[in-house]
Amino acid sequence: MVKAIDIPFGPQHPALEEPINFTFEVEEERVVDVKIRLGYIHRGIEKLAENRTYHQNVYLVERICGICSFAHTTCYTQAVEELLGVDIPERAKYIRTIFCEMERIQNHYLWLGFTAKAMGFETLFMYTWRDREAMLEVLEMISGKRVNYGMNTIGGVRRDITGKMVERMEERLNYLEERANYYKKVCTKERSILKRTVGVGMLEPSDALNLCAVGPTLRASGIPQDVRADEPYAAYGEIPFRVVTYDGCDVASRILVRIDEIIESVKMIRRALDGMPQGPIRVKVPKNVPKGEAVSLVEAPRGEDLHYLRSDGSDRPARLKVRAPTLANLPSLRKMLKGVNIADIPIVIAGIDPCLACMERVILVDTKSKKGQAWSGEELWRYANEWYRES
Amino acid sequence: MAALNLNRIRRRLKGRVQEVFVQRERRIFIRVAEEDLRETVKTLIRLDGFNHLATITGVDIGPAIELIYHIIYKDAVVSLKVQVPKESPVLPTITDLIPGAVFYEREIQDLLGVKFEGNSSSSLFILPDGWPDGVHPLRKEWTLGRISKKVRRLW
Repeated sequence: MVKAIDIPFGPQHPALEEPINFTFEVEEERVVDVKIRLGYIHRGIEKLAENRTYHQNVYLVERICGICSFAHTTCYTQAVEELLGVDIPERAKYIRTIFCEMERIQNHYLWLGFTAKAMGFETLFMYTWRDREAMLEVLEMISGKRVNYGMNTIGGVRRDITGKMVERMEERLNYLEERANYYKKVCTKERSILKRTVGVGMLEPSDALNLCAVGPTLRASGIPQDVRADEPYAAYGEIPFRVVTYDGCDVASRILVRIDEIIESVKMIRRALDGMPQGPIRVKVPKNVPKGEAVSLVEAPRGEDLHYLRSDGSDRPARLKVRAPTLANLPSLRKMLKGVNIADIPIVIAGIDPCLACMERVILVDTKSKKGQAWSGEELWRYANEWYRES
Repeated sequence: MAALNLNRIRRRLKGRVQEVFVQRERRIFIRVAEEDLRETVKTLIRLDGFNHLATITGVDIGPAIELIYHIIYKDAVVSLKVQVPKESPVLPTITDLIPGAVFYEREIQDLLGVKFEGNSSSSLFILPDGWPDGVHPLRKEWTLGRISKKVRRLW
């Protein structure tokens, strides 16, 4: 029997391109214990939010995460709207729902690629990322951006979906659905994938519940919990859908849950486009928010996202608390990692779809002269403040 | 499954509730004394429809730190509040009742300086190594200016 030794893993990109540090205690090839250290990319966003106006915070929370930015802004604006007592237009609710689902599709394609890479299946990684472009193209067509769409605002959304866009969307959705069906076949039949994923990174349903897991991680342990179904927000109450679960409790199930969710999301977007009412997309809201507190929940691509907002009646929040899904899944990840082979560490980490943070930058392009000019932080700051004072 | 409602919660928590408030459908806020925290959590997680603890929010409210345990049920979100004085911010851990609370408590220990007996650790979880003792960035007395002055001296 060999004495247990500690192996540091990270903070530089332990499984994917984000910083987190694990210390694995291993005996021979098996992991027996895991310690986690966070904070390598902690940006103090909750503190910053207390120093910015409610409107500026829409842009700040959008930058919590580059991939599920829309889930965060939806969650935040819902909380502010609840305190303001504002009911947003029906059409805005549908557009939010459609964006939430498009974000889920691009996230799950991205994740499938990461997972393929973590198991050494580079071709699948290339294929899924090529296909993900189809979704990003639609997101860019509507919002003007591939990520951090700038769509949400307090009181509704900023851009509408027009008839021409719908045509293009339908075409791309058909493609994405067809590809997802193909990947499902690949991931249930391909022997090298099965060998890397079946029975790897087990999370029993009782553990998943005790450790407060959320999202696809929880649903892959057979528990049908989904904020969209349990507490319908935006237009989810009007769009029927299936909560996808698998009961393998392993990485293979986590793959299948996400592929099925892609297919389900495509159907939901089609239904939402069919049922979308006409009308305005935003209402004007006051700058000051009445005293009070609100708890807002959203099913982000990675699971339940919670924002807690407290207002003291001014134009800045007294406290904004954000709990993104990855933190909720870390205790479960620690459990999954115990007992795995060292070679399986990356794929098990990738299995919860960890998301630690993201970055931002801005270039302003004059569309007439086609000249690009980078704005300094100070210029941006001045522009934003002038805009806020005038509005 | 019986719906979770206020009367049931009140009955089960007996005299412990100091304040209760229903903000809207599905949103219930309850306040109890800090010494009743564990007993209350024990009761709440035994109620029908209990799903999970979503997170713990810490808020600096001046003389005290308010902690809010957001507990998710199938048909409601119960936000359980307790307050601890800033001079002796110590609470018992609930990680033996809800193991998923482990990192939420550690996060609050770093950012607001509340110690959780049974889950405290001398090492930092979120703040960087070498961070000065007693600087809990989410406390209101630590304004952005004061923090950056302190941090600039560090690096």
